This record gives sequence, structure tokens and C-alpha cells, in this order.
Amino acid sequence: MVEREAVVVPEAGLHARPAALFVKEAKSYGSDIVVIKDGIEANAKSSLKLMTLGAKHGDKVKIRAEGEDEEAAVDALVAILSKEEE
Amino acid sequence: MADYLKLDGVAASEGAALGRAFVHVPHELKLERESISKDAVEDELKRFKNAIEAVVRDLSDTAERLREGGSESEAGIFEAHAEMAEDPEFQEGVEERVRNLESPEAAVLAVGEEFAGMFAAMEDEYMAARADDVRDVASQIATELMGGKKSGLETLAEPSVILARNLAPSDTARIPKGIALGFVISEGSRTSHVSIMARSFGIPAVVGVGAALEEALGAEIVAVDGTEGYAIADPDPETISHFEQKQRDIAAEAALLEEYKHAEARTSDGRRIEVSANLGSADEAEEALSWGAEGVGLFRTEFLFMQRPELPSEEEQYEVYREVTEAFGEKPVIIRTVDIGGDKDLPGVDQPEEENPFLGWRGIRMCLDIPELFKPQLRALLRAAPHGNLKIMFPMVVDAIELRAAKKILEECREELKNEGAQFGEVAIGVMVETPAAAIRAQDIAPEVSFFSIGTNDLVQYTLAADRGNERLTRLQSADHPAVLDLIGKTCEAAREVGIWVGMCGEAAGEPAMIPKLVELGVTELSMSAPSIPRAKKIVSEL
Repeated sequence: MVEREAVVVPEAGLHARPAALFVKEAKSYGSDIVVIKDGIEANAKSSLKLMTLGAKHGDKVKIRAEGEDEEAAVDALVAILSKEEE
Repeated sequence: MADYLKLDGVAASEGAALGRAFVHVPHELKLERESISKDAVEDELKRFKNAIEAVVRDLSDTAERLREGGSESEAGIFEAHAEMAEDPEFQEGVEERVRNLESPEAAVLAVGEEFAGMFAAMEDEYMAARADDVRDVASQIATELMGGKKSGLETLAEPSVILARNLAPSDTARIPKGIALGFVISEGSRTSHVSIMARSFGIPAVVGVGAALEEALGAEIVAVDGTEGYAIADPDPETISHFEQKQRDIAAEAALLEEYKHAEARTSDGRRIEVSANLGSADEAEEALSWGAEGVGLFRTEFLFMQRPELPSEEEQYEVYREVTEAFGEKPVIIRTVDIGGDKDLPGVDQPEEENPFLGWRGIRMCLDIPELFKPQLRALLRAAPHGNLKIMFPMVVDAIELRAAKKILEECREELKNEGAQFGEVAIGVMVETPAAAIRAQDIAPEVSFFSIGTNDLVQYTLAADRGNERLTRLQSADHPAVLDLIGKTCEAAREVGIWVGMCGEAAGEPAMIPKLVELGVTELSMSAPSIPRAKKIVSEL
């Protein structure tokens, strides 16, 4: 299991386009991945669940993955959260 | 009083429509069964999977169709919906309920409602609006599960104005092409899905008409004005012909815009007339370009000086002048030095009460007297010059003595910048001809400038001795008066003698009836409010 903290950088927070990108990336890994905000967990492969977290620009979240590609998954997802939307 | 019902709402998508009314009643999803038997679970789960696939296929097709038609953001709505339909948490929620012997259609609606409830409770307005998206997706899957009975919209054959409480994106997308003439919607705002879709398809729409819609449901014919934001149920013949005229005008205007917007305006005998925009701030640059502006004939700088405790710094001014100059690239941007008179307050300047502010201490007169007002502006302009094609224009000049005084201060600024080692560029200097004196003796000024720009608003008021704001003097507030036309002619003649060009940046430059006369007199640049540009180009091209 790998867990890492990240700050949500995209202006729009974790919904709309950034969420779509995030989910798409998450789906490309076999590991089970969750995003945790204020102790509440959401499946990283579900945009509906992710949106209910209401993670905004500047919020702190944790990403936890468990599975064969857990390391790569967390790396990639933290990277998406840490960069401005193009 | 006319005998029809008027519905006032929000102007959501411009244009005028007139046609048969079609009332869209969203079909109530009547669940035929709430539960299933134990041995049916596996089959029902399979049906659920198939229903999702069918809905996702539909949504993706629609997204693709929209994208091909250039409606990128609308395509995005449908892609987001497809993703919701495929959402693993959504599916799991439904599957769990089905295993507990709930019918899949009941389960889909219930899970959709759960998510909708969570979104609706969120503070973020954007997120709250997603509640309707989830409901729309859930009801599509449930409809598919129950045999795909859909609303009447996709079978609508006769072009109609559609009346509804609201339209989901899936509703709007199902309407066959060319069938929806207009929308009258009781809910919603300019940013609702239905409004966005209407604008993207060019369908006139009025939304947010509220409960009044109920009274219009029996109407046979409905007229929609999506520009003004109202609809009329069962209009009388007079209103009908009014709307038909409106539709013809709009169609003609649209054709005109497309044809002339980005064309160069040239008369039939080959004279090239530059058609530019008057701007009051740098923010307006992009819109002006989209209307086909070939430059800025007048950039007003007063906004920088008003309603603030102190004069704007050179740096602040430089940023603004550079921004607007850069936005226009090689196209000319004529920036007028500040023209404020005794009727407006200037921070840090002690202005005496004046009996006649328009004949008082204003424009170049004030600037020449207050170097701490004038110099930072001139320095900012010189520094912005290398970023494009910037020209400076002095307002309210009466004679060459004032012009020389202004040029002398400009020369001082240039020297200062050179000594400081600052970057700056050369600029063409022009005079705004707006006093009768400057027009009558234009030959004295012309040899010392690169261009003239006639400011008709003040030129008319000073020539005809008629206050611009006095409602009793309307006949004397037009540039189309022989005395004013003579002065314009004299200005052009003096310019021709020395080979400089003459523009016009007053209201008259955009008036259809004036343009032929101005071109005839020798004006070669017309500057106006941006939306008037396409029409002006058309008029010039027909001369």
C-alpha cells in the first residue's frame, strides 16, 4: 500500500475537467485507488464520488493505492493534482 | 390593449422565432414493478449492463455530432453524462440494490437520486447544478430498461416553438435538426444547459418566464424574442407581421455581418477606407477585433484618471497602453491624451468652478498647464510605442501654438527617457479637430502633424452653438449640417495639400447616412463603436 498527501492545485478544484482527467488516469491502473479528504474516502475511478468530496483549489487530500502498480498510480495522480490546468 | 399574453423572461439566446406551439411534458417514469424475484437477479443485472451500454452509445454519438458541428463545450456535457452512466460507484450502488431484489429501473432512479441529493446539498453553485445531470442520466437508463419509451420530442415532425418547464440536455439533443424554432422555458437562467444549447444551435430562447408559462400552454402560435427576452402567446396579426419583419431583419443583418466583417472596405473607384473602433478601455480590444476593427481610431484614456484618489502612475499607464497596442499588432492604435474638463473631477488637480465647462479649462489646455499630469502620460505612451503601431492624438487643439507647446513637452519626455536609458519608440502625432478654429485654419496645423481626426460630437456643438445634451435642440445636434460639412471639407483640403490623412472618430463616422458624404469629402478612416463596423464596411463597399 502506498499513501501520499497532495494539495489540489487546479483552479477549478477536483471537479469538471480536472476530475475527468484524474479519473481517466486512475482507470488506467489496476490498483484500487481512493482519494481521502477530511477522513472521507472516495473511489478515484468514480467521478461522481470524487465530486461529492468537494475538493477545492488549495485543499489537502491523500491518495492511497493498493495493488501491483500502486507506486506508479500514486505518482501519476499526485502529479495531476499538483499542476495547473492547461 | 392588444389581446394576447406576453411572457417576460431572460434573453437566453438571441433571435426571433414564430411558429406553432409544442408543449413538452416530461414523461413521468411510471415504474411497472418495484421488485424482482430471486432467480431473476442475474438476468436483471445483465439487462442493466446492456441498458448502460445503449445509453453510453447514444450519449457518445450525440457528443460526436456536436463536436463535428463545432460545439465543443456542448459535446463536453454529453461526454460527462456518458461518464456518469459508466461510473463504477453508480453501477455498484445499483447492482447492490438489484441483489436485494429491487428492480433495476427502481434502483437506477434511487441511486441517481442519492447522488443528486449529495450534489444539491453542496454550497458550490456549479456542483449543485450537477444534480440535474445525474437525474437526467439516471432517467435515461431507467427509460432504456423499460423499453425505451421516450418523450415526444424526437418524433416531432413539424417545426415548432417548444414550451417546457425545463429541458435536459438529452431532451434538447433528441429534437430533430431544424424542428425547434424557439424555446420558451419557465425555469433556468442564461447559464442553464438549455440556454447554452440554444445559443450553440442558434435557436432563439427565452428562459425563466416562471409560472406565466402555465397560462400559455393552450396557445396555438407563439412568438419568441430571444434578444429582448420575451414571448407572446397567440399573437394578433399585427404582432405576427412585426415578428416576420424582425426575422427578415435579423437574417439580413447576419448575412451582412458574415460578408463584410473581416473584409477591407473599398469604394467602387478603388478608394480604401479604414474602418476602426473607438475604445474606452483595453478590455474592449478583443471584441473590437472580432467585429473586424482595422485599428483603434480613438482610445480614450479618461478611465485611467477618474474616480480615484490620485493620478495614475506612469507605470500603470504604460501597462494599459502596451496592452491595447499589442492586442492590435501592426494595426494602428490612436491614443488620445487625457481630455477632462471642469465638469469632471481630476484627482490632485484644483479645478475652479466654471460657468461653461465645455468652453473652459479642459483637454490640452489643462495638460499644458499641469506637467505632472501630462508628462507621465506622454512618457508612458513613448515607452509603449515599440510594442505595436501607436499614435498620439491631442484633443481640443485650437491652433498651432498649442500643438507646438504639446510637442515641446513630448520632446522633453523623449530627452528624459533617452538620458535614463529607457526603451521607447517613435510615434506619429495627430490632432483631434473638434474646434471650429482648428478646422477653419487647418492649413496652419496640417504641416506639423501626421494626421487629423475629426471629433464630430464637439465640432457640431461648437459650430452650431448647441449644447449636446439639450433635448430641444435635436435639429442642431447633427453633423449633417452644411456649416459642419464645410468645416470637414476644409480640414480634408488642408490635409490633402500636405499629404496627410484625415479620420473621423465622432458618432457621425458610424452613421449610415453620413458615411457617403464623409468619404466624398475625403475622410479615409472611420472610427466607431465596434458593432457598427460591419455595416459601415458594407456602405463603403457600395459607394
